Amino acid sequence: MPAMNLQDLQSIREANRHRVEFTRNTCLMLCGGTGCRSTGSLEIKEALQKEITTRGIQDSVDVVETGCNGFCARGPILVVQPHDIFYHNLTLQDIPELVQEQLVNNTPLQRLQYKDPVSKQILPRQQDIPFFAHQLPWVLRNRGIIDPESIDQYIARDGYFAAARALLEMTPGDILQQMHKSGLRGRGGAGFPVHLKWKYASEEKSPVKYVVCNADEGDPGAFMDRSILEANPHSVLEGMLIAARTVNAGHGFIYCRTEYPLALERVQTAIDRAREYGLLGSDILGSGFQFDLEIYQGAGAFVCGEETALMRSIEGGRGMPRPRPPFPAQKGLWDRPTVLNNVETLANVPLIILEGGDWYAGVGTEHSKGTKVFALSGDVRNIGLVEVPMGTSLCSIIYDIGGGIPGKRKFKAVQLGGPSGGCVPAEYLDLPVDYEAISRAGAIMGSGGMIVMDQRTCMVDMARFFMDFVQEESCGKCTPCREGTMRILEILDRIRAGDGVIQDLWELEDLSATIRDSSLCGLGQTAPNPVLSTLKYFPKEYEDHIRNKKCPAKKCTALVKFRVNADKCTSCGLCHKNCPSGAVHWKKKQPAEIDPQKCIKCMLCLDNCMFDAID
Amino acid sequence: MGKQVKLRIDGQEVQAPAGMNLIDAAELAGIHIPNLCYLRGMKGIGACRMCLVEVEGLKAPIIACNTKVKQDMAVHTRTERVQEIRRFVVDLILSMHPLDCVTCTKSGVCNLQEYAYEFGLKESSFSRKKFTYPVDEGNPFVKRDPAYCILCGRCVRVCKEQGTNVLDFMGRGIESKVITANDMPLHESGCTFCGSCIDVCPVSALREADREKKGREWEFSRHESVCMLCGCGCDITVSTKGDLIQKINAGSRSPSTEQHFICTYGRFGYEHVDGGKRILSPMVRKGGQLQEVSMKDALEDLAGRLKKAGKNTGFISTASILNEDAMTLQRFSGEVVKTSNIDSTASLYARPEQLEKSQKAKLDKADLIILVGVNPSQWTRVLPALDVAVRRRLSRKGRLITINSQETALDKLAEINLNGDEIQAVQGMIKSVPDHGIKVDQKLLKHVQEASTDKNMQQAAEMFAGSSNPLIISDPAFFDVASNLAWIKGQAMAMPLESNARGVVLMGVKSKDNTFQDMAAVEHGLVQRGRSTVKLLYAVGDVPLSKKPDGVDFLVVQSSSFTGLAREADMVLPAATYLESSGSMVDYLGQLKTVEQAIEPRGESKTHRDIFVQLAKNMGATLKKPTFSEVKKAAGTEVILSVADMSRKEAFQETPESYLQALNAPVLETSRLLWLKESGMT
Repeated sequence: MPAMNLQDLQSIREANRHRVEFTRNTCLMLCGGTGCRSTGSLEIKEALQKEITTRGIQDSVDVVETGCNGFCARGPILVVQPHDIFYHNLTLQDIPELVQEQLVNNTPLQRLQYKDPVSKQILPRQQDIPFFAHQLPWVLRNRGIIDPESIDQYIARDGYFAAARALLEMTPGDILQQMHKSGLRGRGGAGFPVHLKWKYASEEKSPVKYVVCNADEGDPGAFMDRSILEANPHSVLEGMLIAARTVNAGHGFIYCRTEYPLALERVQTAIDRAREYGLLGSDILGSGFQFDLEIYQGAGAFVCGEETALMRSIEGGRGMPRPRPPFPAQKGLWDRPTVLNNVETLANVPLIILEGGDWYAGVGTEHSKGTKVFALSGDVRNIGLVEVPMGTSLCSIIYDIGGGIPGKRKFKAVQLGGPSGGCVPAEYLDLPVDYEAISRAGAIMGSGGMIVMDQRTCMVDMARFFMDFVQEESCGKCTPCREGTMRILEILDRIRAGDGVIQDLWELEDLSATIRDSSLCGLGQTAPNPVLSTLKYFPKEYEDHIRNKKCPAKKCTALVKFRVNADKCTSCGLCHKNCPSGAVHWKKKQPAEIDPQKCIKCMLCLDNCMFDAID
Repeated sequence: MGKQVKLRIDGQEVQAPAGMNLIDAAELAGIHIPNLCYLRGMKGIGACRMCLVEVEGLKAPIIACNTKVKQDMAVHTRTERVQEIRRFVVDLILSMHPLDCVTCTKSGVCNLQEYAYEFGLKESSFSRKKFTYPVDEGNPFVKRDPAYCILCGRCVRVCKEQGTNVLDFMGRGIESKVITANDMPLHESGCTFCGSCIDVCPVSALREADREKKGREWEFSRHESVCMLCGCGCDITVSTKGDLIQKINAGSRSPSTEQHFICTYGRFGYEHVDGGKRILSPMVRKGGQLQEVSMKDALEDLAGRLKKAGKNTGFISTASILNEDAMTLQRFSGEVVKTSNIDSTASLYARPEQLEKSQKAKLDKADLIILVGVNPSQWTRVLPALDVAVRRRLSRKGRLITINSQETALDKLAEINLNGDEIQAVQGMIKSVPDHGIKVDQKLLKHVQEASTDKNMQQAAEMFAGSSNPLIISDPAFFDVASNLAWIKGQAMAMPLESNARGVVLMGVKSKDNTFQDMAAVEHGLVQRGRSTVKLLYAVGDVPLSKKPDGVDFLVVQSSSFTGLAREADMVLPAATYLESSGSMVDYLGQLKTVEQAIEPRGESKTHRDIFVQLAKNMGATLKKPTFSEVKKAAGTEVILSVADMSRKEAFQETPESYLQALNAPVLETSRLLWLKESGMT
């Protein structure tokens, strides 16, 4: 296709509108995100197509593989449009019946529909399901609606019209003004105002500038950026194009980790299509502006998410941070001015340009505007990807959207911001999603990892998990992070092994504070956060480990002895059956007994006991 | 001097040049900001976190190595907060570092020890952690002991910046480690054993392979001198104990790391002073055999012969003798022996004017370097320090054009390579310069009228026109043509192969009548053919010839080692090496540098000048040794360039490698450098 102009873009939008408004065919929107693919959505797609062809309805029904639907816990997920009928947990066996009922008989197949766990009522439509009803999908606006590999469908959803406006109607100053008004802050964690970053880079006089998208999402439990890239890759490209136009950059990089094969594939497809359409390359939309970009695959080092290490990695060096200043906006990639934003930040940009900064700033709190995407995981019913307005309370996310804690267990804390973040205990559940508020509570907004923990989580163990992660991922450049984190880990291990002394707590605090104050980059400076926040909110738990040699959550196996409570034991034998090491002696009609010599503390007896008889 | 900035450091007012970092600025005021990873002249990397200081108005401490001075800044280097951090860092490092200061050779100059002392840390408050990495001692030069490594990264950065690029980090976090590619031992890694890493290591992780038991650092006397083994003439610091050289490091006279480099030869070749080929006493050929005689007898005998030979005497010298020796030689030959037959090996590859006209230049100020016909390389060991200096300049600020008919080691770093004939390339460049907005005198343009230019030459001309301080470094053979570029802009230097070629010529050791070639009967380098034009040939220094030239009746060789020529001599006089003499030399950049005697001359050997003075005495004349001011005057001749001829002058057919090897044969064969040859690593 020859280079496009605005008219071409408009006609593509008109020609494809029916596909995103579902005005012609019935569309089976099957989730093809990484989560649903892992539960078999690709096979289901094949089965659906086969079944539809067998029944001869292929001309009136389209099967569309979409990006991540978000409700990952219930995958594979299928939404039938235009009726918005939601099916979940599909299996291959369900497909013939589903096609027959839904498409031929036109009656929903109730057994595969969502049932409200409280009222036990069937909620047929996706928008009525609480998981979706409380969300505000802006960045995820195209989820379940477009095929992420189709640029036409993206255009049909007003895609690239923001870029067109930025290139044809707006000056860089205009764009900066809208960005300023929007109040958009970096979604990678630190929350630096985007318009400032762009402004600094635009003021630099250099013939070569770069725009870099940080897609090196590395926090354990975080998958926001992956899902955005998989579901709406063009929105990131468009955001980069607008950023490039603002600062006058000619080339861009998307630094994405190799462990995201599907995201890489979809982004590459998106880049190829955009190039074909002349939306990347020279003279974009007849504006005379030139911009192209490429993917750079990172090898999965956590520290490469730190901006200076990321750039060093693109340059071909070992991913090690360097001191700032100079900031990337002044001297970034190959010492050239560089705008570096993360995936979610960039995906917000087209919306701001299209709808205006004021409109965008209409949602959120005083200093945190727009929406935030979270990867909700851990001990929560509805694990998945959620997008909520800034200011939403943690409680609402965990209970209204997440459906609360499974079983009868109690909420204990929520971990925000990954290894750099901290834990927020139950008292703070009213905390709004807001950069400053979360930070005051001792955590950070972070990139959006939200791990919910119930009473079975040991906070010492949790702090240890993150410390272990950080000390393994420390690049080794600066002394406090390289050796200090290892020392914290040693102390935590000591405490978990029952060898802790009370002075260890002071030492932990001291070490943490010094590492925070003296490390070179963000990784080291925030590394002690998980320890500091658990020490702050759960001091008793640490003391229990040290003084009473007890782990209240029964996680630290060295401190736990498994014993059968004969009063509660019903002699059912489940513990005996499940014990992998033969440590449970059991005879019919007698309470079971655990041999501590043989017990490997795997906790299977505890998990399987239906009568809470294992202490 | 650039703009000055006033600031306060620990309450003391300090004036420092704008752009200087806080560590250097504090040092101006005599305040030491602790650091373990900083290297002067290189960008601060902020790895060790020792140099954190507090600045009034800033919340958090900042690193001094990467912070530039600002007007009215108030810096505090010893606040409780930063001292606490420093103590913490040292404590952490100590927990993984052997506490064997009692036997450690680095004791006394170890930075870690110094800071541990400052904080009174006898041992770490953390539990001891140790990795058992193997010690790399597969070569006789550099010993790498990872147990001592504190991961400051200095060695990695130095090795990278100088382009040797052998060391890097591997692993993450606590398991980080400095390694070579694939973690091979150094001798299988492409390492050249220059030992730059030894010079920068703050602890004992990298040291000379034989450093142990050679003495404690405080027992050593240090001598700031110059290596005379090749045209680079690098600064060296010689450490001696007793009358033995214990080690040589890169000199500390230049404060920046940019020229802080010595090569393997300079660092490890010193053993030749006590090597098996050393001449320790005078010898005279009797009955076909060289036999030891007393210095007195030898010099009396020689005085008589010189008197008799008079004008038929010829003096040939190497171009690596010191200025004082050269000037004494020149006076001795002219005033005492009264012969005009005097010349040095420099005339093998350069005419005197080429070296005399070579300009003074500052390499670290150049923004464009043009190499004409020179191919310095660390790996072929030809002018390695120039190779390093160019690479370092490029990594900081600067661009490179190489002009060479052959591929050169630096081609890959150059933005433009002009392959093909050097003279045509320079002519083409000059012809294109006016197209880029620079006026060129018609006198010069006339010379290049016929030249053809191509796209590459035009680009080179454009880069040259756009540079503000170009430096042209050429092989002496191309100096005339290359100097025409400097006539337009910048400076031009001839790069000789021998350390004091410029000095020797400036001191007057240059042909007035018979040339070196005539006297030594050599053609195109060192090929000996035909008859000598003199009857008594007096060779000064380790002249790299292998046989007594035909036609010479009496051959005197005054050198420190048994060279090929010495074996054929009729009289051999023991000369002191540069490590045993004081004086001065002129390096390739035109700087007059002093050479400090490190050890006593071995055996009966004497400096060249002392021998000449004694000979003069024996001949009934008085010969004055030159004073430093006389040398300085001779060395400081102002150079004014003029349009020079455009053709190649010399026919020197030795390769730089083979010539330098011949010149340094005694050093290479009687020191641990022999290992290089034996393991096929030259």
